[in-house]
Amino acid sequence: MTYTISAPPHKKTRLDFKTLNISKIIALLPLCLAAIYFFGIPALGILIASVAAAVTTEFGIQTIFKQKVTIADGHAALTGLVLALLIPASAPLWIPVFAGFFAIAIGKHVFGGIGSYMFNPALVAWVFTRSAWVSYMTPLSIPHVGQFSDLILESGAGLMVGVSPILLVGGIYLIYKRYIDWRIPLAFFATMIVVPQTLLFISGVTALVHEGVMNPLMYMSQLFTFLDMSPELPYEMIGIVFFGILFIATDTSTSPVTKNGRIIYGITCGVLVFIYGHFGNFVDGTLYGIFLANCVASFIEINTMPASFGTKSFPQKLYRNVMDKIPASLKFEVMNNE
Amino acid sequence: MEIKRLDKLPEKIIIPLRQHRGAVCEPLVKKGDRVLVGQKIGDSDAYYSSAVHSSVCGEVIAIEESAHPDGNKAMSIIIQPEDSNEAVEFSPGKDLSSEELAELIKESGIVEHYGMPTHTVLKPKGKNIDTVLINATSSEWIGGTFKTPKEYASHGINALKLLMKTAGAKKGAIVLRTDDEESINAFESIEVDNKKIKVAPLLGGRRIGYYFKEQDSGIIVVSQKHIYGKKILNFFTYNVTGRKVKVGCDPTDVGVAVCGVKSAKAFYNAFNTGKPFYETVISIEGVSADLEYMQVKIGTPFKDVIEACGFTGDIGKLIANGVRTGVAQYTDQVPVTKGVTRISIQKPEEVIRDESIECIHCARCVDVCPVELIPSRLAVMADQGRFDECRQIYIENCIECGDCAAVCPSKIHILQLIRYAKDAIEMAYEDLPAKESSNLKLGCGCGGE
Repeated sequence: MTYTISAPPHKKTRLDFKTLNISKIIALLPLCLAAIYFFGIPALGILIASVAAAVTTEFGIQTIFKQKVTIADGHAALTGLVLALLIPASAPLWIPVFAGFFAIAIGKHVFGGIGSYMFNPALVAWVFTRSAWVSYMTPLSIPHVGQFSDLILESGAGLMVGVSPILLVGGIYLIYKRYIDWRIPLAFFATMIVVPQTLLFISGVTALVHEGVMNPLMYMSQLFTFLDMSPELPYEMIGIVFFGILFIATDTSTSPVTKNGRIIYGITCGVLVFIYGHFGNFVDGTLYGIFLANCVASFIEINTMPASFGTKSFPQKLYRNVMDKIPASLKFEVMNNE
Repeated sequence: MEIKRLDKLPEKIIIPLRQHRGAVCEPLVKKGDRVLVGQKIGDSDAYYSSAVHSSVCGEVIAIEESAHPDGNKAMSIIIQPEDSNEAVEFSPGKDLSSEELAELIKESGIVEHYGMPTHTVLKPKGKNIDTVLINATSSEWIGGTFKTPKEYASHGINALKLLMKTAGAKKGAIVLRTDDEESINAFESIEVDNKKIKVAPLLGGRRIGYYFKEQDSGIIVVSQKHIYGKKILNFFTYNVTGRKVKVGCDPTDVGVAVCGVKSAKAFYNAFNTGKPFYETVISIEGVSADLEYMQVKIGTPFKDVIEACGFTGDIGKLIANGVRTGVAQYTDQVPVTKGVTRISIQKPEEVIRDESIECIHCARCVDVCPVELIPSRLAVMADQGRFDECRQIYIENCIECGDCAAVCPSKIHILQLIRYAKDAIEMAYEDLPAKESSNLKLGCGCGGE
């Protein structure tokens, strides 16, 4: 009898790259349906044009360069879909066609294909078309969440992603299934909340300083501003920001692999997006912010390489230094192992 | 759970003379000789070696190269068994000194499942052992030849005492798994030195040193979560004792001896009955939904073990020592050796056939790695032959658990690439002395062997 021989492990997860992409596409489908309901047939046209252009380009490039054709893994389709959602529904059809081509050809394959590109292909194409054809690519309106119903159906949406933030809940399910890493979205989202609240606190304190207040209790009472909602939050909690948090920033090739690196990357995204959004608007801000964060992703990665196991981290060393100086009789800890 | 006993005599017994990673034994018998159960058939003068015994009574029909479960061939003694239980006389040991106990281990052929002869772990040359650990995290209590959990617990403690006496160590610990309730209850129901045992969990920064002090005892039982892997020792030692083993060294360099449940039990048996290590309990996976346990004679071919389980049908893959890191066998005429703990059978439709694609940097491997490595990066470096860069990101820490390769959605053979790089680095160490190397700092850095 003949047996198969192979290197271990002999049992692996069934999850593969194709499943990851297809599940992301499925998670985006409700949003696409809402966009078609909202914008009508032009939206459908843009979705189809962009996805078809991306897939055709990938097929063409891989055929010409005699590579293995990988359109079946769904990555090109996902890129095309993400891209289509970032194009205003009023744009002429050749815009998504060109953008889909640009995303796959320049954004993905010039850099070496899957896993090698340093900028998210959809963002590359978006940045290019946004700069080249400003009039077509400018959304007609910038949404602003005034009440809760805006989260369900946002009537002020200019782009397809903005129509219904709540329908992006599929992304949260993907995090639960661990198809998307949780560190980047969490750090990103937390930063987007913390930074405006901190600004509110700082502005409150500076206002007191200008008034010449000397009472320290007045300054301490400013801590309560963290409980107030910053006026900027309604501008942040819009579809495209959630989309950026869940689907663009978490793109695996353009984010660091180290555990700490992913948290730092999420914070970087949050800060950059907030700075851009604070001075401009959060629609462009999200995309440009993540695009800029992509630039520093590999820098973050190589600087957060984990140490050998059992090595004390910086805070642990600090703690140890302090604790070693305190006499044993004053300490509660009984950690001496030897 | 019951342990079946393989009573049917196989057509032939294949006993490899290489049962561990030490000096290979020289055969003591010739073709045509008649051997008895428990008769020593292979021995070596080297200290780093362990005797080999016949597990049946029969006639030596050949001494030749034969398949070995590690995938290579090894010089083996092939015995045609006869239906007789004639055995050499076994004499239990009494009041032995430390050196005599070590000699008993060597003569009884007891080796660790990770490939070291037990006496070299307990009494390494030029090093002092002060702590003996029994790693019981991966074995259920039934993994030995125990009848009840209580017997497991009391034998475990007694075996630990013996091991400590051999090593001359004052301290000893048995490490259980946190979720293994049955074993924990068993140990908590017995007493050592008239004191109830309390199984202490290793939490946070607390290591065994803390519990030795707290329980004011030389023998303790602790529990920790399951660690699995081929090169687990250094990580295990750090986790349990808090002592960091330097790269290229082993736990004996920091005074810790790590033994398995199986070898501890074999030593206990050898001491009490005089029987050498010629029978072992293995588990068989893939025949039914549960694991099956079977007591087999060392040297029984896999074929007979599978037949005895009642497995019929096609076999796609035959794996020794677990589906995660085990070696796929090319023939079923490989014998059960002292290092075999599990036989896994996969049906043809269960055999995975994946094609690797490029790494997508999803960082799943980073998330599962128990020793905080970046397996994806190591795989790339190993693939490109950049071994010194592998060393800079601590490739030696890898415990070869295979989790990274198992979760990889790109189906990259990460474990294989890491092993390749580790082997290449080890070979570089053999080729050039450490002092002459300018860019590589190799070998044990703490002055041990």
